[in-house]
Formats: sequence, C-alpha cells, structure tokens
Amino acid sequence: MYNLRLLRQLRYSLVLQNSGTALAHLPPCRLLAGQHKRRPQLGAIPSDQLDRLKSEYFEQQCALSNEDWQHVRSTLTESYRHVNGTNVDAIILGLCSRAEQLPVAKSYVKHLQTQGIKPNAATLGRLLRVYNAAYHTRELSEAEQSEIVEICDTLQSAHDVLDASSCENLILGLVATTQHWNRALPLLDMMRLTSTPSVSAYSALIAKAFSADQLELGWRLLEEMIEARKLPKCEIFLSLLAQSAKDERTLGAQLERLFCFLELHDILISELVVQQLLALAQRLPQRLQVTTTRLELFGKCSTCQQNLQHVAISDAQFAELRESFLQKVLIRNDVFQKTTPQELQRFKQYVEKTAPYDCVIDGLNVAYSTGNKKPPAQLAKLLATVVRYFKERRKRVLVLGRQHMSNWSKPAMQYIQSNASVFLTNNLTHDDPFLLYATLRSGQDTDFFSRDLMRAHAHLLGTELKAIFRRWQQEHQYSLVTQTQTGQIIVKEPIRYRLSAHKVGNVWHVPYCEAYTANPPDSFEVPEKWLCITIAP
Amino acid sequence: MLKNVVQWRTAKLLLNGATRIKARRCLCAPFTTKANENAALGESELEPASKKYVNPFAQSMPTALTDNITTETAEQRDKRLKVLQLEADIAHQEGRRVPGLEFFKDHHWAHILTLPTKSARIKYYAFLWQIEMKKASEKRKKEQRAEDTERRLADLRKEREENTHIIYGLGHTSMFLRIYDTTINHWQNNRLTRAMQFAPKMVLDCSYDTYMNNRECSNAAKQLMLSFAENRANDEPFDLHFCNANLEGKCMQGLQRFIPTMLNPEFPMNVHTKCFTELFPKNQLVYLTPHCREDLIAYNPDDIYIIGAMVDTVNNEPLSLAKAKRLGLRMARLPLDRYLQWGSGSGKSLTLNQMINIMLDLKKTGDWDTALQHVPRRKVIDLGAEQYERRQTFNKRANQLNVRIDHLLKYENNRNESTSFSTPQKLRQHKEGLEFDLEKWASGKRKTTKRN
Repeated sequence: MYNLRLLRQLRYSLVLQNSGTALAHLPPCRLLAGQHKRRPQLGAIPSDQLDRLKSEYFEQQCALSNEDWQHVRSTLTESYRHVNGTNVDAIILGLCSRAEQLPVAKSYVKHLQTQGIKPNAATLGRLLRVYNAAYHTRELSEAEQSEIVEICDTLQSAHDVLDASSCENLILGLVATTQHWNRALPLLDMMRLTSTPSVSAYSALIAKAFSADQLELGWRLLEEMIEARKLPKCEIFLSLLAQSAKDERTLGAQLERLFCFLELHDILISELVVQQLLALAQRLPQRLQVTTTRLELFGKCSTCQQNLQHVAISDAQFAELRESFLQKVLIRNDVFQKTTPQELQRFKQYVEKTAPYDCVIDGLNVAYSTGNKKPPAQLAKLLATVVRYFKERRKRVLVLGRQHMSNWSKPAMQYIQSNASVFLTNNLTHDDPFLLYATLRSGQDTDFFSRDLMRAHAHLLGTELKAIFRRWQQEHQYSLVTQTQTGQIIVKEPIRYRLSAHKVGNVWHVPYCEAYTANPPDSFEVPEKWLCITIAP
Repeated sequence: MLKNVVQWRTAKLLLNGATRIKARRCLCAPFTTKANENAALGESELEPASKKYVNPFAQSMPTALTDNITTETAEQRDKRLKVLQLEADIAHQEGRRVPGLEFFKDHHWAHILTLPTKSARIKYYAFLWQIEMKKASEKRKKEQRAEDTERRLADLRKEREENTHIIYGLGHTSMFLRIYDTTINHWQNNRLTRAMQFAPKMVLDCSYDTYMNNRECSNAAKQLMLSFAENRANDEPFDLHFCNANLEGKCMQGLQRFIPTMLNPEFPMNVHTKCFTELFPKNQLVYLTPHCREDLIAYNPDDIYIIGAMVDTVNNEPLSLAKAKRLGLRMARLPLDRYLQWGSGSGKSLTLNQMINIMLDLKKTGDWDTALQHVPRRKVIDLGAEQYERRQTFNKRANQLNVRIDHLLKYENNRNESTSFSTPQKLRQHKEGLEFDLEKWASGKRKTTKRN
C-alpha cells in the first residue's frame, strides 16, 4: 500500500514534469519523501488569492461602497479557515496599510459604523498605523487629528495598562498629530512592562521630538534606545538634520554632538542620511564641507590626506579585559568543559616564565589554513614557515598546539622548538582561550596569529567587554591569507586605524553603509565608503 | 495477577540477597520511603565494609537558570497577567497565530508569566494556536467518522439479521486465543527481573535537569520512557539504572506521568538518587559522550556504559565530557563517522531510545552495521532523486512479483561484508570476484575485490 501510494505520486510528478501544466483534478502533489519542502506557514493567507483580492479592491485609492465591503468581508471569512468574525476587520485594515490607501481605510471604518459593528482594539490600532504612514507624506487635517486623539482616548480609558503592540500603535498615531505627541511618552514607559520598546516606536518618538525642537528629550531617548541594543533608524537622523538646518548658529554644535554619538556607539549611517548631509553642505558651504572619500593605504583619507587615528584601547580598558578574560571565557561555570585545572595551572606557570612575546601563534589554525586533509608533514612545514616569517623580523613567538602535534615531522618540529616557545595542550582542550590569554597577559604590544574570528569568545565576554575586545582584536590579529606555489606565505597584517566615526585634527571622518539593517551581524570588513567633513567653528 | 505480584516481590528479595552475597555494593531497591529505610539499614550493615563516596553531583540549587528570576509582589504579577491577557486578546483580533482567550488555562498563564521576552511568548502562543487548530480539525474529522461508522454499523446489523450461519472472525468464533496487553506486559516484566540478575548493566545519568529548559525536560522524559519500553521489549534486555535522579525535577516528574508505577517496589525499574560512582566501581564505568576523541571499537559486556540523559538542542556545551573528566572515568563515542555517511539532516545527535537500541543490537550481534540501523535514515543517506526513483521502481517490481528484497537493498554497497545473520547465502558466493571479464583479461590490471 505504501509503495503504491508513492508510485502514484511518482507517476503524477513525472506527468506534471512532462506536461508542464497543473492538472486540476490531481491530488496535491506531496513531494517525495527524501526531499524536503517548506510548507506554507499555517495561518497565513495563501498569497495568490490575496493578490487577486488586493488588485481588485485595495489598489484603488478611493472609497468603496457598502456592498463592496460586504463582498470583501464575506469572501475573506468564507475562503480562509483562519479568518473569522473577530479578526477580519483588522486583517482588512492591514491590507490597506500604505499612505495612499488612507481613504480606503477610512471608508471601511465608516462602513463598520453604518453596520453597527464596533471596531475592536486591533482594528483601531491598525487604523492609527495607516494614519502614521499618511503623515509621512502630507500633513494631517484637523478632523483626522481629532479622530486620532479620540481613538487614543477610547483605548486608554478601556484598559488602564495597555500591552506592547497597542502602545506602539498609539505612539505611532499620536506622533502623527501636531500637538498631542507628548502623550506618547508615558506610553513608552507602559511598553516597558511587557517588553523592550520596539525600534519603530522609539524611532517615531525620537524623530518627532527632534522635529518639535525638543532636542534634549530626543537625545535622552536615543541613549535609552542604544542601551536597549536597538539600532536607530534613518528617520531619526534625517529629522535631526532637518531641525539643525533651521538654525545656522547651532548647526556646528549639533553636528558635533551627532558625530560624537556615532563614534561612541560604532554606528554606520545610511545613504539617505548621507544625501541629506551633502544637500545641507551645498546649501551652507561656508559652514560645512562634506565630501565622499575613500581610504588609501595605511588609513590615509584621499581627500584631506590625513592618516586616521590609531585603534588602540586605553590602558584601563586593556587591564579590565585582561583581568576578566580567563574567568569569563575559559573557566565560566565549569573549568572541565574546556580544559582541566592542572593544565590551566601548568599553562599559567609557563606563560609567567616565558613572557613577554611579540606574537602568539595558533599552531593548529595555521597548520590547517590551506586545507583539512593535508599530510602532517605539510602541516608542520606550514607552521615552520610562519615561525620563520617572524624569526626573519626578529620577533619572539609562542606557538600553541595539541599533544598530537609532537608526532608530526621531526625536522619541522625541531625547527619550531628551537626558534619559538612551544606549549602543547591535551587533545581534548579548547586552545583558543589559551591563545588569547597568553597574548593579553603579555602586554599591549603583543599580536596573535590566527584566522579564527573569535566570535564565540567575544560573545562570552558580555556586551561592554565585547566592544573593547573587538577593537583589541582588530589591532592585533595577524592572519594567514595563503601560501603561494613557491612556498612563500602571504600574511594579512592587522588594520591599525579606527573603523568608526572619529575626528582627525579638525576633520571628521564618518563611514557609512548602503541601507539600514535592523540587526547588522559582526562585520570584519573595512567600510568602503567614508565622508570627510569639516565644520566651520 | 496477585500471584505474579508475589513472584515479583520474592524475585526482588532474592535479587537483593544475591547481590549482598556477591559482596558488591548494595544496589538500591527502587526508590520508595520504605525501601529507603531498608536500604539505609542495608547500607549501615555494609558500611564498615564499603567506602562512602561523596556524590559530587548532589542536586543542589540549580545555578544555571535562576539568574533571571526577580522577585515581584502578587499584585505586580496580577497586573502583568492582565496585560499579557490583553496582549494575547489583541493579537488574536489581529489574526495572528494566537488562540482565543477561552482556550488558555491556568497552567498556560503560569508558564507564560515565566517567559522572559516577547518573542518567547509569541512562539508559545503559536504552539498553543497549533494545538487549538488541531483540536478543531480533529473534532470535524471525528464527526465525519461518526457518521460513517453509524452507516456501516446499520448495514452490518441488517446483514447479520438476515444471516443464519455461524460468524467466523476475530471477536466471534475463531481459533485464535486472545492475548491481552497486560499478559504481554507481565511476561516482559518477568524478563526484566531476570535481566536485573544476569544481564549487563547500563546507566542513564539523569543529572542534567538544570541545563535543560521545560520543553527539553519533557522531551527527555519521553525519551527515557521510550528507552525503558524498548529495552523491555527486546529479547535480551539490559539492566537499566536511572542514576542521579532528582524526583522533584521536571524530567523525572514527566517520566512519572508516563509511567505512574515507576517507583513501586514490584515494578522492574531501577531509579536511584545516588550517583553511579557510588553504585558501581569506577574501573568498570565508560561514559559515552560525543565530545571525546576515542571511538568505541567493540562492546565489552563487563563494562558498564553510561549515557547522559540530556536533550541538548539549546545547550551545546560539552557537559558530559566535563563530568567524565571530573570523575576520571573512561570515555568513548560511537564510531558514527566510520560506519555511516552523514547527510545534512539535523546533525549528529541521537535520542536516548535510539542509543539504547544501538547498544542492545551491539550487544546481541557485535556488528556495528546492524546496530547503527537504528540511526534514522533521514540523517544518514543523501539520496539523489534518480537513485530514489531507481529504488522505487525496484520496489514496485518486487511487489508485483511478491519477492522480498530488503536484504539486498540493505547491503547493496558492501555485499562482501554482509554476515550470515542478515543475508541469506547467495548461490556460488565462492566464485565472487572470479568472473571472466574480457576487457581486463591479460591487461595487467588487477581486479579489485575490495569495496570501499
């Protein structure tokens, strides 16, 4: 029976492939068991029929009649199992969420009122969102604003504490008004009861605060937002620039504050903001000069020909990193997970004896750089080549490895032993934290050699130390790019200039990216596009 | 039935007596308060003779998961509960994957209040929504089925009235004796008590409660139940010991919901709160952990193998490795890479019942290929579409001719290595590799009989 079923589907799938058309009377083709297909998410409305509905009714930007709305409502409730009387209103309003579709949304709410159906909280929230979208394109009329305030009043009186999504809808709605946006501030606190306030809620409120000339409030909320690890959206910076442009005298101070903020939190602005800055500079050339630029070798700006600042971290930060590293990364809850207490003790003693070094090399990472399955003789030779690279530059090195490396080819290992300090751990130990510990212990001038991005260890350090660790890592990490045919190795030296917004002399250098992303992953690339900005005092 | 219970009791006493005579450490009877006193008495008798091990894994206050609990008053909790109910209600009105408010029960809200973030709540709501949808669809199908059954019964009754002959079949007159489930259960339990006397031992280490979240604990409980059941159903079961069991913890509570009679003295399940180092000598213990380097080469019936009862979807730290290192035990891992080609499905983690099945088959046959048949095929083989199609046509033809081909397909890659246990002897097997091949004849090239 099982095989018959599979055979039937085989036959159908073959027929489908051959004919190329979907035969309506066939059962839905379940794919072969060996392959994996992602089924459409349960509860989502199948998109093809939705598109049809959308094009028929929602693409027009005018109001629809009562009969039309009846038809839409009944189609939705009948065709889809998950759409019923309670959620159909909010779903319909969700479909007309763009700025141009405000008349459509309004007509639907009117239709509900004529039918005597009271719109529920979700529907009103979605309506506020449409108002907010419309507000970004044009000013809202008095009637619309009063309607917004009315809706907010009804919702807030119905429940004394609102949940996070309703609060967000209310904030977006109030921000669309001109005089009542102050009521949105306690709503932000209300949001904190159940979750961290979202990026859009923060962004809307901060942008409004800036455009209403309440700069201190805006900055305070920005700091809060960064603390909650949310990245500010472009609209915040755009509204800040628009507001600063109104007053020429304070423009310089405002821009300085903005760039200091970007520097402190390692934020990249987007193309939109850059366009705005360039436009601003063109309007006020005597106050502000902005040029797009690129970085040449060793961090030299191609416009102003100055070298960028060095990336070194302060001594206090380095000390903090060094003290807490072992506990946070290696020992954690159970030292046996990564090593054993005896081995850790042995390593500490060894480092005390043979420190300081110029470079600490991750033996296995280097040896396996050119491939996993190479014979051990070749691995040992690669490691020896790297040691020779440092010996030629008269540097003291420490090589970390594992016990089984002592069985590699004798001549290479003897060369390494005679030209470097070597420490071999057990075969079961994680040796990366050992590498970083030795480098940190050795001082601010020591580098390390590994291709590993150290993401796990950075994460284990916690948020503040992570930023410090990344800067230290950027300054000190050598990595092996490749080995050429002749046996020469190409080594990538660490980038010793800063990659965030900072001031060189009197000139600000600000990197930027193409578009705003909510959660940018850890980037190990150098930003390609920079701005060179001079602010007249 | 009563006499069976008496037999279990005597078997238990015999068992305890037997082990005492053997002068090994007293194996704790299945844990009850009464048995505890007996065990304590037994222990005190043996104390001068045995060494007292301190359990380094005594279940103290869990440190891993209690960091984020902040104290809040009852009224703050009520306020938060109201807001969360409003959140669920509004999300339901928006058409998101949240069930209606009537669906939520008190224990649902109790769980929701412990969730830390909004996204965790959203995922839990989606889970409850799926349950609601499944229930609704089940109800619809049940009504449909009820109608069909009514119709079928009416037809049957009509037919039966008209029929004057004897009815043959199951439930009527038939030659088959009905064997009830309980009989099978008793028979299997008897086999288990025999196993407790004579079979090799296997330890399931249940000390990982603090490292698992709620869902993982329930999954672990289910896997423990399945491993007990599959061990019991096997021809030659192990003597399973559940050590380091924290009976108040979620995992053991879940297991008790599956097996309510778990702690009864007559039930053949060994549950210990003590550590396995206190029960068995260290030189016999081997901890099976995936994080170590040495493969398990052959099964040694004198060794007691330990499997960590942990579901590690969230936590991927080498906890079992750390524990084995700390206790100074031997470690091994299954030779998965050597015998299987790992595909891309869901990584190399095996459930507990799969592990027990593998060890059972390994004990029985000593052959890794048969033992590792218990690894799910979706993880292992990376079938291309054409190969699958070929297999399907093969199956189809075999079904038409009514021929069994499983043994051929199982070892189609390594015919020479199939054992007599699993493949029937093929005709002229001694001539394999000696066929005449015109292309290779007198070419100097060696015919390879070795398959990879």
